[in-house]
Amino acid sequence: MTYNFAFLDEDTKRMLRRALLKAVAIPGYQVPFGSREMPLPYGWGTGGIQVTAALLGPDDVLKVIDQGADDTTNAVNIRRFFSRVAGVATTEHTADATLIQTRHRIPETSLREDQILVFQVPEPEPLRTLEPREAETRTLHALADYGLMHVKLYEDIAQYGHIATSYDYPVLVDGRFLTSPSPIPKFDNPKLDRSPALMLFGAGREKRLYAIPPYTRVESLAFDDHPFEIQRWEHQCELCGSGESYLDEVVVDDRGTRMFVCSDTDFCSGRRVEAQA
Amino acid sequence: MMLAAFANPVFDSQRTFRELLQAMARPAVPRPLPVLPPSPAPIASAAMAIVLTLCDATTSVWLQQPEDEAVRHVRFHAGLKLVEQPQDADFALITDPVSMPPLEAFARGDMRYPDRSASLIIQAAAISSSPCVQGEVGKGPLALASTQDSATPPQPSPASRGGSKFAGPGIRDTETVAIDGLPGDFWQQRTALAAQLPLGIDLFFVAGQQVLALPRTTRLLEG
Repeated sequence: MTYNFAFLDEDTKRMLRRALLKAVAIPGYQVPFGSREMPLPYGWGTGGIQVTAALLGPDDVLKVIDQGADDTTNAVNIRRFFSRVAGVATTEHTADATLIQTRHRIPETSLREDQILVFQVPEPEPLRTLEPREAETRTLHALADYGLMHVKLYEDIAQYGHIATSYDYPVLVDGRFLTSPSPIPKFDNPKLDRSPALMLFGAGREKRLYAIPPYTRVESLAFDDHPFEIQRWEHQCELCGSGESYLDEVVVDDRGTRMFVCSDTDFCSGRRVEAQA
Repeated sequence: MMLAAFANPVFDSQRTFRELLQAMARPAVPRPLPVLPPSPAPIASAAMAIVLTLCDATTSVWLQQPEDEAVRHVRFHAGLKLVEQPQDADFALITDPVSMPPLEAFARGDMRYPDRSASLIIQAAAISSSPCVQGEVGKGPLALASTQDSATPPQPSPASRGGSKFAGPGIRDTETVAIDGLPGDFWQQRTALAAQLPLGIDLFFVAGQQVLALPRTTRLLEG
């Protein structure tokens, strides 16, 4: 069985490419697209895969991460999928990749202008949990009426004393569109702001694409008296000793012993290799 | 005899698309297109590369100069729908910018769907990037303008020779570029559209092998 290069047919790629160009031209706006059935279920990155397939060329070097890790099921399978249907080179090193598809993290290593980051997005509409009707959320975006989201964040403060939203933390792109950064931890939100790399977002089930162009203002919503803050840990990574990366808490035995390790496996192993040298 | 299209449709359009994407993501910076397919007059090769990369049976295209051979060529190779009216076009191919219709004639999308708007492919006379400020001072009419009293602005549009400065998403600080061969009031027209953001029109300029994009969000800076 053979496929067209990168699995999708050329008509589908053109449709995706036109939508991606409009997405970049209107930062943070969700462009509808004709999402195709892919050989893996919704929720496993069908949106990201379609965006990657529309971008991919034979000279690309692809990296795929899931929660920061290169060696999880989703990441391994998507990487294997593209090396099979497009024959592209793959890597686990952030610095070597031209194209990085990600689920729920932005790599710790700073991205460059010649790299593109593709996000897998389960729910592209940041207002969806507050307003279920698509026609209504479209209108709210048209009017830039984002009061609902401010009320939600305010209710967090009223109930918990601080903004309790810790992932998929809403952002305002170029001062205009309220946008979901996908379920990345809010720890990663500052990396969205004026990033040198182009960032593309694909939601397969919801059939939406959007983009944050490089060097674009991305603000995390907050209040004057409750400014935006990222997570901090009392721990350091137990493997590489990093004090400034995003840490996962892992239960390591039956007695509830825990350890904290970097969620970005490439960053962590790179630091360990450096330390040994 | 009919001319050929991309020699290698899958990879030529992929490489062209990546340049277009980077052009749109980093506005006002000219980039060379990797593949220039044959094209019948009055369509430039670089414009044809964009049409072959992005247009097909599902897109409506308006040709400013629908000459027989050009029409046959794009219909055969891209299978696209040609439309009579600029406002119906997803893509418009402007082969003679000086006599182009006003930007207002093209679709700007609607408030719920600002993506349902036209993309223009404009064949400019020349694109020249980042003439440095010093060079500008030493070089004729615009140099005079910058030393003159600002209350009496000079006649030539800021985007004529010497270059104009752009800012917006995708541009770190500012970019300076000169795009030649446009109607005299082109930049006024475009600035007027900016009031309607996020509605708007996205522009690709081509000249020779170069392509340069100006999405609706890119602002022309005064002075």
